[in-house]
Amino acid sequence: MRRIPWDILLALLVPFLLGLGLGLVYSWVISPLHVLDAEPVALRVDFKDQYRSVIAAAYAATGNLPRAQARLSLLGDTDSIEALNAQAQRMLASGEQFEHADQVVALALALDENKRSTPQSGSVDNNGAPVSTPTVEFVNNIDAEPTSTATPPSLPSDVPIILTETPQTIEPQSTVNEPTPRPTNTPVPTLGAPFTLTGQETICDSNLPDGLLQVLVLNSNRRQLAGVEIVITWDGGKEQFFTGLKPELGNGYADFIMTTDTTYTIQLARGSDVALGITAPTCQTSSGEAFLGGIKLTFQQP
Amino acid sequence: MTTNRSLWVFIILALITGIGLGLAYGWVIDPVDYFDLTPDTLRADYKADYVLMTAEAYRFEQDPGLAARRLAIFGTKSPSAIAADGLDYARTNGFSDTDIALIQELVTALQAWSGIQ
Repeated sequence: MRRIPWDILLALLVPFLLGLGLGLVYSWVISPLHVLDAEPVALRVDFKDQYRSVIAAAYAATGNLPRAQARLSLLGDTDSIEALNAQAQRMLASGEQFEHADQVVALALALDENKRSTPQSGSVDNNGAPVSTPTVEFVNNIDAEPTSTATPPSLPSDVPIILTETPQTIEPQSTVNEPTPRPTNTPVPTLGAPFTLTGQETICDSNLPDGLLQVLVLNSNRRQLAGVEIVITWDGGKEQFFTGLKPELGNGYADFIMTTDTTYTIQLARGSDVALGITAPTCQTSSGEAFLGGIKLTFQQP
Repeated sequence: MTTNRSLWVFIILALITGIGLGLAYGWVIDPVDYFDLTPDTLRADYKADYVLMTAEAYRFEQDPGLAARRLAIFGTKSPSAIAADGLDYARTNGFSDTDIALIQELVTALQAWSGIQ
């Protein structure tokens, strides 16, 4: 029986492992591959915000929602609507122009409305037959070898993005080879129907600031809406404030401190019911001590 | 003596094989993943699409200063040069005539805007 030559095996294994380690250190640390062909998903957060803003501005200009959706998908957000709403809050909080935040909110709303109005994939019609969904399909071939750099096939102008050497190709199912007319410029989408005042509660909570007016703005799907302008007027005064500046309390939340003996009128700038005669109520603690309570108003799209 | 020399040959071969495999793994099989990148690293088609988005917005807003700020995220070049690069890419890669015209309009506007800065 032959003895295993451990000394020789070890003499080969050690330099092999040493070489492997050196190779990895060189390729991962000393000289990693340079990034030249990055995708938007790998961008830093602030650049992604900028990318989203420009997508929203382009959407505001063209009204081309499929193209905006395709572009947003490149950023890899798990929920584009939430990402847009959160960004609108950040923009307002950092004092950016309201118009720019409004474009971002408008795109979020358009996506939300489109999501609700578009039948989901795999749904069935009244007869039980599958219903096709006219959505944009994204084929992700990230691991595939890059294809040649030949001129891309002529695509309709409505196609979201033309890519070459393409790990990602975007093919609208519903517009095969049929060029569709480009949408004309459209105004920024509005929030749709005026909001209705669906709730008005008196809040007697001594833990809250005195005279706190809380406003909650919801869309018809009961999703909180950020960036909605609220106009509050009183005898000799007027002020505007926005939802979403306190994201920890909700995207559609805004508040205002009322003073004693002042009557306020509250309305959403985009059109809503008017909350008239709003005053800070007087409340009592359990020990009988009086304090200034608050009011909570809820506006919702019908 | 001969056995010793051939052992050293095998040791060096093992080392070279290890280095080669390490490099192949680190550069090809599992290269470094990058996050938090800057826009100048974007692939050319994404850059061109960003220029197109800026051009679409510019057509509506007619604000070359704002368009220039949007393009400034690419850094090193002037906004008009960035837009011109996007235009070159669009022309050579089958963008629609409408999109090319939009980018052309942006390039012209930014060149004029640069002139008065």
